[in-house]
Amino acid sequence: MTMLQTPPVEMTAPTLYQLSPELQALRETVREFAVDVIRPRALANDQAPADHFDWDVVRAGHEIGLLRLVVPTAYGGLGLGELGVAVALEEIAAECAGTALIFGAAMLGQAPVLLSGDPQLQARFLPLFSGDDPVLACNAITEELAGCDLLIPESAEFATDVVTARREGDHYVLNGSKKFITNGRVAHYATTFANMEGEPGATGLTCFVVDLDSPGVVRGEVADKMGYRACLGTELHFTDVRVPEENVVGGEGAGFHINIAQMNMARAAVAAISTGIARGAFELAKAWCDERVQGGKRLREHQFSARKLAEMAAKVDASRMLYLRAAHLADNELPAPVYEPAVAKLFADRAAIEVTEDAMSLMGARGYVREHRMEKYLRDALGTRIYEGTPEVLALAITESLYDDEEW
Amino acid sequence: MPVFQTKAQADELFGDLFRILAADPDFAGELERHRLTVALVHTKPDVTIYLAPGEVHVDEVPAPPVLTVKMSCDTAHALWAGKLLLPLAVATGKLRVRGSMAKVIEFAPLLHPAFDRYPDLAVAAGLAA
Repeated sequence: MTMLQTPPVEMTAPTLYQLSPELQALRETVREFAVDVIRPRALANDQAPADHFDWDVVRAGHEIGLLRLVVPTAYGGLGLGELGVAVALEEIAAECAGTALIFGAAMLGQAPVLLSGDPQLQARFLPLFSGDDPVLACNAITEELAGCDLLIPESAEFATDVVTARREGDHYVLNGSKKFITNGRVAHYATTFANMEGEPGATGLTCFVVDLDSPGVVRGEVADKMGYRACLGTELHFTDVRVPEENVVGGEGAGFHINIAQMNMARAAVAAISTGIARGAFELAKAWCDERVQGGKRLREHQFSARKLAEMAAKVDASRMLYLRAAHLADNELPAPVYEPAVAKLFADRAAIEVTEDAMSLMGARGYVREHRMEKYLRDALGTRIYEGTPEVLALAITESLYDDEEW
Repeated sequence: MPVFQTKAQADELFGDLFRILAADPDFAGELERHRLTVALVHTKPDVTIYLAPGEVHVDEVPAPPVLTVKMSCDTAHALWAGKLLLPLAVATGKLRVRGSMAKVIEFAPLLHPAFDRYPDLAVAAGLAA
């Protein structure tokens, strides 16, 4: 298997319909990894107990560079942007969305450190991802009472139940619990969002890099999920966890803005995961329609089936165009755009559900049994609609952008 | 009240800051290594600083820059004085960047000497840092 290479300094500018030669090479390498390494294990990993984790897949992904895609070259990474990440994640998700999210969540844990622009923080944490052994990160935001809306209003009765931090000398002390943290069970560190004690709401939200082997950290139960079973969504409990002050990302109170920036950057990549799910399901259905004969002709020659296949192909293509546009813009604008990533995710998430449903119907009973992987695609498609912005949250972001006429 | 009363004040202070940085062999070397050219477009008052390896131009952009950074002079003052955090400035849209984000990630740490030098320069220019 080919090792991913650092692109030349002057990468060829991509267009929306033609990836640069560098990104085409990246796509081919990741596709080879996905087909050769992930596909043979995807079904077994999906059907394994909820807390099963396949380190061999992660190790193989690390060997081709998947854990250091966005790490700057100065720290041994490939220095790629959102476009490279999205292209890679589509390829992985076409075989297993849960595996794509293992790598995606690790990058989400790297993002605050990258966004901080803090050379000390970067020098301490980013080289971890370029070593011989795979190291995972995670991003700890969600709590029992905070999902789509991360901000607990100061007046809320439960405002005191959030994960909190208080300063004690040159350390901060964290208390509270996080929920559904992808990679939380297996990550080295978590970029953890906590409110300064007595400061609920946006102004007190602060991001910390927390070593998950620190005293007081307990990696809790793994959620037994419907889909995305290759990655582990875990509770994280913090009891008087001491975090050195140099692990604060961007300063006290910067957490909310860091999170918004992260989310706007991540949505293109999540749309790419939806595109991969849709493509994987479409490819299976396409092959099936070519070989299955009913009424004396192949399924693809029946008009109703042909119509379905054509609609599915169009949805996969449109999803890809939208995420490429969003990722390209996210790579070239700060703050990351709000509108294009939200549109891409809204469309691609819905397309993935529609395409996998149509693909199942085209495959009939075979689509409904596990061995053909089709029902896994549908379960995974439903999961993507939830994280990094539900359709309702995305709609709010899109509509707000429609009325935002601020010039650059 | 704006920090800078005249354009000349902003020209001089930001020009001096980046001339000092550009004269630093480490900074210049890193710009060269990353093939970075940057236009810092300040508004209110309008001052553009163009940085290239070994070059600083005020209100002149001799070639299309790899990165364009746009912010008001007040934002720049707060940023370099350490009163405004970079991630906050970006996330709130007070500081906007156009260009490859991979280059931004390489460029941001190079700016750290500016945070060390600016407060003294600002005080010398009669501005509270």
